[in-house]
Amino acid sequence: MPETTAPPSRVPNRGYRQWTPFWFLAPAVLTLLLIGIYPTIFALVTSFRRYNIARPREGFPFVGLENYVSVLSDGTFWASLGTTARFYITVLPIQIMLGLVIALLLHKTGMGFLKALARVTLVVPLATTYAVVGLIGRLIFNRDFGVANQFLDMIGIGGFDWLGSPSGAFAAIAIMDIWQWTPFCALIFLAGLSMVPGEIEEAARLETSSKWALLKHVQLPYLLPGLTALLILRSADVLKLFDMVFVMTRGGPGSATDLVSIYIQRVGFRIFDLGTASAQAILLLVLTILISRLYIRILYKEVQ
Amino acid sequence: MTFLQLRDIKKKFGEVSVIKGVSFSAQKGEFVVFVGPSGCGKSTLLRMIAGLEDVSDGKLSIDGKDVTYEEPAKREVSMVFQSYALYPHMSVFENMAFGLRMAKLPEDEIKARVLEAARILQIEALLERKPRALSGGQRQRVAIGRSIVRNPKIFLFDEPLSNLDAELRTQMRVEIAKLHRNLGATMVYVTHDQVEAMTLADRIVVLRAGLVEQIGTPTELYDNPSNTFVAGFIGSPKMNFLDATVTDAGVGVLTVNHPAFIGGSIVISSPAAGRIRKGERITVGLRPEHLTLNTDKPRLRLTLDISENLGGSTQFYTTGGSEPVTLIVPGRPAIAAGNALDVGIAADHIYLFDAQGQALRA
Repeated sequence: MPETTAPPSRVPNRGYRQWTPFWFLAPAVLTLLLIGIYPTIFALVTSFRRYNIARPREGFPFVGLENYVSVLSDGTFWASLGTTARFYITVLPIQIMLGLVIALLLHKTGMGFLKALARVTLVVPLATTYAVVGLIGRLIFNRDFGVANQFLDMIGIGGFDWLGSPSGAFAAIAIMDIWQWTPFCALIFLAGLSMVPGEIEEAARLETSSKWALLKHVQLPYLLPGLTALLILRSADVLKLFDMVFVMTRGGPGSATDLVSIYIQRVGFRIFDLGTASAQAILLLVLTILISRLYIRILYKEVQ
Repeated sequence: MTFLQLRDIKKKFGEVSVIKGVSFSAQKGEFVVFVGPSGCGKSTLLRMIAGLEDVSDGKLSIDGKDVTYEEPAKREVSMVFQSYALYPHMSVFENMAFGLRMAKLPEDEIKARVLEAARILQIEALLERKPRALSGGQRQRVAIGRSIVRNPKIFLFDEPLSNLDAELRTQMRVEIAKLHRNLGATMVYVTHDQVEAMTLADRIVVLRAGLVEQIGTPTELYDNPSNTFVAGFIGSPKMNFLDATVTDAGVGVLTVNHPAFIGGSIVISSPAAGRIRKGERITVGLRPEHLTLNTDKPRLRLTLDISENLGGSTQFYTTGGSEPVTLIVPGRPAIAAGNALDVGIAADHIYLFDAQGQALRA
């Protein structure tokens, strides 16, 4: 009698049990719980309590909104938030503009090899750790042997003390942030531009010779989802930006580069007032969420 | 007056030559169709007229003005794309108004022009919709509307009907023909469908591998194809070709041998007979619609392979000698496969081509 069963092309469900998906997801979920959710909940709980690790005898008493009240009436907190806002509105428009220009240049036809090379190069700053960016920044803006001053010497403006002067230090951290994040903007915009169907771009080219009109009326709608994501990511990132600035300036000179995250770190780990620091961090989180919702409401619109 | 002129236009993509020197000109108001198999360069040629592809060599002029290196928007041409290429985020009205806004026309004139085009195309009810809420046929109308409102010097169509189903395609074909008649505009239309070419064109440009094979009216191409390629491309079902040998060449007549002929050979009168010598190989072209059953003077004996009943007519796929021969006859003659058919040829409808495939003409 001939074999009637067909050779099994796929073995159905071998070893697949009800809990199989769970075990595949468990490591990621567990890690996320440990390093993401748990600290957030801990910070939320701590923000309602007095908790100073330098004074263990005071314990961990519940104080209600006391921490929040003291944070909101703390002039230094508002000042550091103001510095962060100034940093944000300095770097972000430049990153978006430069990113868009780079994306438009890379989107043009021709020079295939150079463009491929440029695209790869764009990933390098993104792959660099913040702390390393800070170290590079310290070298570039070093008063005596940094390339920034070498360059200024070449065009006849001598020895500027970048990290030693308030405006210089602020400019230096802004430049490093722009260096690190402009490529990200460029890549996001490039992806958006390549989403525009070729024939639609061509249809527009037949109707207008203005590159600006093409960008505004035809390409921009395709860029908006990417722009929204970019603004949200950058907002969250700037609000929590710490390592690069800490390595370069430690918030100084004076309070010139004292971003809110640096101030929170100081409150938490210099004064050891973790209750207040937690309240500040939670406020920052709320602010981030509000800004994100705002961007989504104003900008986000799917094409098609 | 020559309105559109192409002079020795060439296009290279890197080392690959796609258009190898095309020259032709069109009169104002003429409907010109580029036709050819895929990859023949017809779309590239159209895109060069639009300015979407650079011209590698040659000269292009529209309405007496050299536009070889002019920007697309300044050529005053409009184009209907295969994918319609409507702006997805704009309403139908805005899609049609976009070009006019870019040209900075006053708002009331924009509105008037869009409404007029919408009326012509019967899409007034759709003006507020977004393209995604439209059917293929409606999108097509909007795309055509977007062309009309700009009142361009030349309308370009890049296979505009190929994404539509058969019924809608026929309907839109008629509408495009009507539009051409009503607007009196110069149109250049690219298609690989010879039926569209035959029905729409004032003149057809047959292209193959970047070269023009023949330019002429549909009737000229049908009646006097200049080579086997054009003969095979124009007409549906396509022309039958028999590879035959000339056994005798007299004055104005040729005796041609092929196993499909009854008695092994037939005598064909041809004004070009003098140029052919005995023993040469020629190709005999016979259109399916010129072959007749039930004739008292049969010339061919064919073996029926399969027949297709088309309702009003029947298409027979047969073999003559070893070559396939198709014929289309009115009515529904019931003949079983395998039977021999004695077939006549309508007078003056034998096409002759030399060994190189060129038509034998006087």
